[in-house]
Amino acid sequence: MSYHFGRGKAKLIPYLLLLPGLLFYFLISLGPSMATAVYSFTDATGIKGAPIHWIGLDNYREFLFMGRASVDNLDALKRTLIFCVAVTFIQFSLGLLVALLVNQKLKGTNIFRTIYFMPVILGAVIQGLMWSLFLYPLGGPAAKLLSIFGLRSEFLGGQPAEAFAWVIFIQIWANMGITMMIFIAGLQTIPTDMYEAARIDGANSWQVFRNVTWPLLTPSVNTNLLLNIIGSLQAWQLFLVLVGYRNGTQVLGYLIYATGFGQTSGSVTSSFRQGYAAAASIVLFLLVLVIGMAVQYILQRREARILG
Amino acid sequence: MTKKLFVFLSLLVVFAILLAACGSPAGETAPQTGGSQPAQKVTLRVLVHQNPPMVAFMEAFNKKFQDKYPNIVVDMSVVNANDLSTVSQTRLSANDIDVLDIFGFANGAQPYMKMVDAPNWQQLIEAGLLMDLTGQDFLANYDQNTINDAGSYNGKVYAVNLGRVIYSGIYYNKKLFEQFGVKVPTTWPELVTACETFKANNIPCMTAGGKDGWPIFVGAYGLLGAMYPDQAALVEGLWTGKIKWNDEKSLEMWKKMQVYARDMMEEGASGIAGDAAPGRFASGAVAMFPGGSWYAPAIEAAQPDFAWGYIPFPGSDNPEDNKYWFGKYDQGWAIAANTPNKDAALLYVKEFSDPANYQEFVDAVGFIPTQPTAKLNTQIGAEIAPYLSNFRVGYEQYWIAPKGAGQFANPWASYFKPFGTDDDPQVLADKVQADLQAGLDAVK
Repeated sequence: MSYHFGRGKAKLIPYLLLLPGLLFYFLISLGPSMATAVYSFTDATGIKGAPIHWIGLDNYREFLFMGRASVDNLDALKRTLIFCVAVTFIQFSLGLLVALLVNQKLKGTNIFRTIYFMPVILGAVIQGLMWSLFLYPLGGPAAKLLSIFGLRSEFLGGQPAEAFAWVIFIQIWANMGITMMIFIAGLQTIPTDMYEAARIDGANSWQVFRNVTWPLLTPSVNTNLLLNIIGSLQAWQLFLVLVGYRNGTQVLGYLIYATGFGQTSGSVTSSFRQGYAAAASIVLFLLVLVIGMAVQYILQRREARILG
Repeated sequence: MTKKLFVFLSLLVVFAILLAACGSPAGETAPQTGGSQPAQKVTLRVLVHQNPPMVAFMEAFNKKFQDKYPNIVVDMSVVNANDLSTVSQTRLSANDIDVLDIFGFANGAQPYMKMVDAPNWQQLIEAGLLMDLTGQDFLANYDQNTINDAGSYNGKVYAVNLGRVIYSGIYYNKKLFEQFGVKVPTTWPELVTACETFKANNIPCMTAGGKDGWPIFVGAYGLLGAMYPDQAALVEGLWTGKIKWNDEKSLEMWKKMQVYARDMMEEGASGIAGDAAPGRFASGAVAMFPGGSWYAPAIEAAQPDFAWGYIPFPGSDNPEDNKYWFGKYDQGWAIAANTPNKDAALLYVKEFSDPANYQEFVDAVGFIPTQPTAKLNTQIGAEIAPYLSNFRVGYEQYWIAPKGAGQFANPWASYFKPFGTDDDPQVLADKVQADLQAGLDAVK
């Protein structure tokens, strides 16, 4: 195989071509991430002109070990993991199922694809408002539906576990379209003659799925799993819009936002603590990194085993 | 020659004395006339928090202001009250705001508090982001105590506060009270009886904006006030360990809070947004609405003919304990220190502070005025007036949680079902005290 960029200085061309992208990545993503890591060791408020002091590991000590608040933080961390597992598992399964259904050569599948994908384009605020109205406990559509059976619910305003379950449901509803689309793209790359060969060999639908579709969907499976895991670990906007900062429902992402930006309760004027929030962000980052890397390692090995 | 020189010197002395008499006393700064219309067209960026009657007033005021000063275009942004501090901080840091709405200065660190951070307004001042307004002539329109209490720091003025509000009252539906022969409650047992009467007649007793969370517990701050009228002493007592959230007196408060959350609030209140609650009450469907005085204009706007009254939350069994108002200094104006539109910004606040404009403002939003010449013309003003001498700054304005305190270290009625998970006052009281104690131990 010949090298297209020649020899000598010409070898640098690929790196020069990569440079703008790398610079952009550094400016937009890597730079702020590194700054966050540095801020996590300071008492930065995020206010321009305010003095910043180096306080070592104090923020981490407070977040992870100080008083009852650290227990609450760890609860938020656990809740984040529960949210991640629930959303990833259901969204992945449902996305695959729907993709298989709308990938059939039947009339109207395009309409269903559009309908399933539509929530993705709405954005968290509109998604949240729609569901807040639908789940309005005083005469909203869901409340009316329940009342037919003599039941009632507080929905998003109910017990924390119930509100949390609703946010999981809405997160899946909001993002399932992306999972579906990636699976559809994967399904359409599978050659039809593979299916025909399997059918000729007498394979039933389940066997076709297990031995042809599933292995050949491996790249889409990997992409979806990683996106779902990382996306759900970082989710917080829907919590903000749907339930607000309520005990028993906070996830780590929302906790970081609320702490960093001095979110108030009632009329309390709280402090801006971006150094502390940066430390919490790094904890979340490490969580995402460890889980993401582990999953990626397992998935890559699986891909190599199946696809060679 | 000597005579002429004497006359000249005498005139000089007299002239000097006259000049001195016209000048300011030693050590005082002459008032600054603050602000003028710029020669070039400028856009003045103003930030306010969401409060429908206030926003409506501001839109009308801005129009009038722009008509009077055609070179100034007002670009007003409105944000949710919960997001005001966040947006203020980011826009001030980006130098993207000229005039901003700022709540009355509160939650300052006290000598008995350990390891607490400065409140956000103090952080903004110390970072040099708020303009020093000391000496501006429009300050003279405001009550000096208000300027000292709600807008000053280290002897300098950084904000003019526009009004006090009460958050410990209950609105009641006069028609329903008359219809069912219910006496307006002045004690806790009377309030319980009133609610039982309404519920027996299928009328929900109380509503509140439970979806926003805070209206539930702020609605019960009157109950807290009835138990602990000196709220500054309460905060000090909690920090020093003299008062505990699970002592006998506090336990009585928790028991009452449970009745408030479980039995008095209507089913479904947890889904009502804070902005929607006044409309729900004004619809006439509910007998009472524990809420702040700032809701009055929204109730009037929703149903102008609706007959309502406003009473202090009768949290105590003794009527004398239920004659206090608890509240805070609400909205104020501050100016960005680095604004490129200094003259226009000062002119805006000066124009707003004009007594005639200010009177229109308090009439529109129902604030208790902070300009001594302004009058309480509104219905809410008339309802508040009988106990106005008993106004006290409330618990929330003093309280700062120690670092390490748990999320339950607050006197919040919203911990009880159906808003929270608790249904045993003793268990909750112990949990709240344990969460607070964890913080106090951590900062020792």
